Amino acid sequence: MSTARKRRANGALRGLAAYHGAGIIIALFFLAPLAITFLASFRHGTEARQPALPPWPTNGFSLDSYRSLDTFGAGIWQHTLNSLAVSLATVVLTVAVSLLAGYGFSRYRFPLKNVLFVLVIATLMIPFQSILTPLFIILAKLGLSNSLIGLTLVYVTLQLPFSVFMMRNAFDAVPKEIEEAARIDGARDLRLLIRVLLPLVLPGVATVAIFAFLNAWNEFLAALVLLSSNEKYTLPVLMMAVRAGRLGAINWGAVQAGVAVMTIPCLIVFLALQRYYMRGLMAGAVK
Amino acid sequence: MNKTAQTGVVLTDIRKSFGNVDVIHGINLTIAEGSFVVFVGPSGCGKSTLLRMIAGLEDVTDGEIAINGRDVTDLDPSERGIAMVFQSYALYPHMSVRDNLAFGLKMARTKANEIETRVNSAASILKIDHLLDRRPGQLSGGQRQRVAIGRAIVRQPDVFLFDEPLSNLDAELRVSMRIEIARLHRELGNTMIYVTHDQTEAMTLADNIVVLRNGRVEQQGSPREVYEDPNNTFVAGFIGSPRMNLLDATWTGQDHIDLAGRKIRSPLAAQSPQEGEKITFGIRPENLAVTQEGNETIPATVDFAEYLGGTQYLYCQLDDGQPLVAEYRSGPPIETGSRIGLSCAATHHRIFDTTGTRVR
Repeated sequence: MSTARKRRANGALRGLAAYHGAGIIIALFFLAPLAITFLASFRHGTEARQPALPPWPTNGFSLDSYRSLDTFGAGIWQHTLNSLAVSLATVVLTVAVSLLAGYGFSRYRFPLKNVLFVLVIATLMIPFQSILTPLFIILAKLGLSNSLIGLTLVYVTLQLPFSVFMMRNAFDAVPKEIEEAARIDGARDLRLLIRVLLPLVLPGVATVAIFAFLNAWNEFLAALVLLSSNEKYTLPVLMMAVRAGRLGAINWGAVQAGVAVMTIPCLIVFLALQRYYMRGLMAGAVK
Repeated sequence: MNKTAQTGVVLTDIRKSFGNVDVIHGINLTIAEGSFVVFVGPSGCGKSTLLRMIAGLEDVTDGEIAINGRDVTDLDPSERGIAMVFQSYALYPHMSVRDNLAFGLKMARTKANEIETRVNSAASILKIDHLLDRRPGQLSGGQRQRVAIGRAIVRQPDVFLFDEPLSNLDAELRVSMRIEIARLHRELGNTMIYVTHDQTEAMTLADNIVVLRNGRVEQQGSPREVYEDPNNTFVAGFIGSPRMNLLDATWTGQDHIDLAGRKIRSPLAAQSPQEGEKITFGIRPENLAVTQEGNETIPATVDFAEYLGGTQYLYCQLDDGQPLVAEYRSGPPIETGSRIGLSCAATHHRIFDTTGTRVR
């Protein structure tokens, strides 16, 4: 009896060890590139041109790479600020517009509603590179070429189809009775939306916000095409300049430092919102 | 305009259509102030739609709704002096129970101390004082339904509307909540309109039952009237479980009918059908006396006997093949396949003409 119990306990222990062991190994695979980038960004300037292994600094930590990163373009702070401004404005506008649009598509009855919705979603199938030229012309006509506002509007436009789709689903998942109860309680229109419904669609909002931020933060082609002056470039464009190097020599230290700088805000946004984001992705999966 | 001077809820020629489909066909209904009215009917009969029209959640295609003398047909739900309890509770999941109760009052910009007084009093009426700081997700089904009722109470409405409020609860809880709602009506004395498809709820709670079918009122009356004196075969068959036996028979004149080859005396007070006219003969299972087969009784064969402890339901077949249910309370157990005789007092006979309308 007791040997059977011992055998069972051993078996459970082995299972647990295998489970966590496998988990740790998989996590290492995912974390290794990040760790290598961060460690390598702290190598001395002289070390930066040496072979990549071992990835950590062998002659002590140094901020040389970050200092040299600042010598590119208009300085790392300026480009980071540009990127932050564009990304945050994209998040705010995308959330505001998709929240209202999603609510409208989910709750109001109007002619051609489904046709309109399909049209909005269908724009997801158009590769945005193919409309870059018309976009460039439109922005020029509006006097918004080479401006961060113009770039933000383009990002919001590209982000909206997915976001509206996401928010409509989020509102669809909110039982109609809750809205009706609120109407009986005297909440109408904007108050109903903000006081009652917004907290219920927060997972959807988080998902939309994360996607809008990451896409705007990492977007390269539109920024390269639509911006023309040095001090307006966002981080991905700066990174291209860093990557291209000077006189054919690539400063790998600066590249690693740039990657580190670009990664941190993404990590912060994702970690801050991931709780809601996971719920948002799973909404409607189990009814 | 004279109608709107009445208290209570008055519906005048209410119609509702969704596109080309008419779902409510001109309903006239007067609900006295302080009464407990239950709308019953099969699913799709329009009872929930009618309730939602009174609540203001559904537009009225045509007609007028007045509450306590005020025409509310085009008013916003919050301005009608109503409160509604939903089947799915519809609590705000992100707010505590206290905030759920207070939300409507906050929207109406009620003073903070007044809100507190009303919330506390509603909570003590419903015995949910200790739950005020919890979220709806942390409550059981019964507790949630209490909170939903509490949310209605704090609004101090003229009319309470209940849309199948007990359907999501288990059988035991349903009984206790039913008693609770009856107590609440006694204590508060407000007009209550209650939609259900559960006959027990309808019979036990209502002062007045409104039986609906296909968007029309089939009969309105006290539970006793509706049960004992149905206006037509639909109401007769719908109210009561097991349902009233409705059997094909022939009127043979001189207060007699022919049922499965037997002559039964069934005197009618006012009108009589034509001699030889087909009629529907209605009799409730509990009004059938089960005896030995004999000359004075209607013979039947027991197809199936259902034992329920205190009583037995006998699913029988008359000699002409018509099915019939009889309740059997005392005496030796009756086996499947046995021959029995059925008799019933003439006062329990209900006669309907070929259109299903009652002949009295």
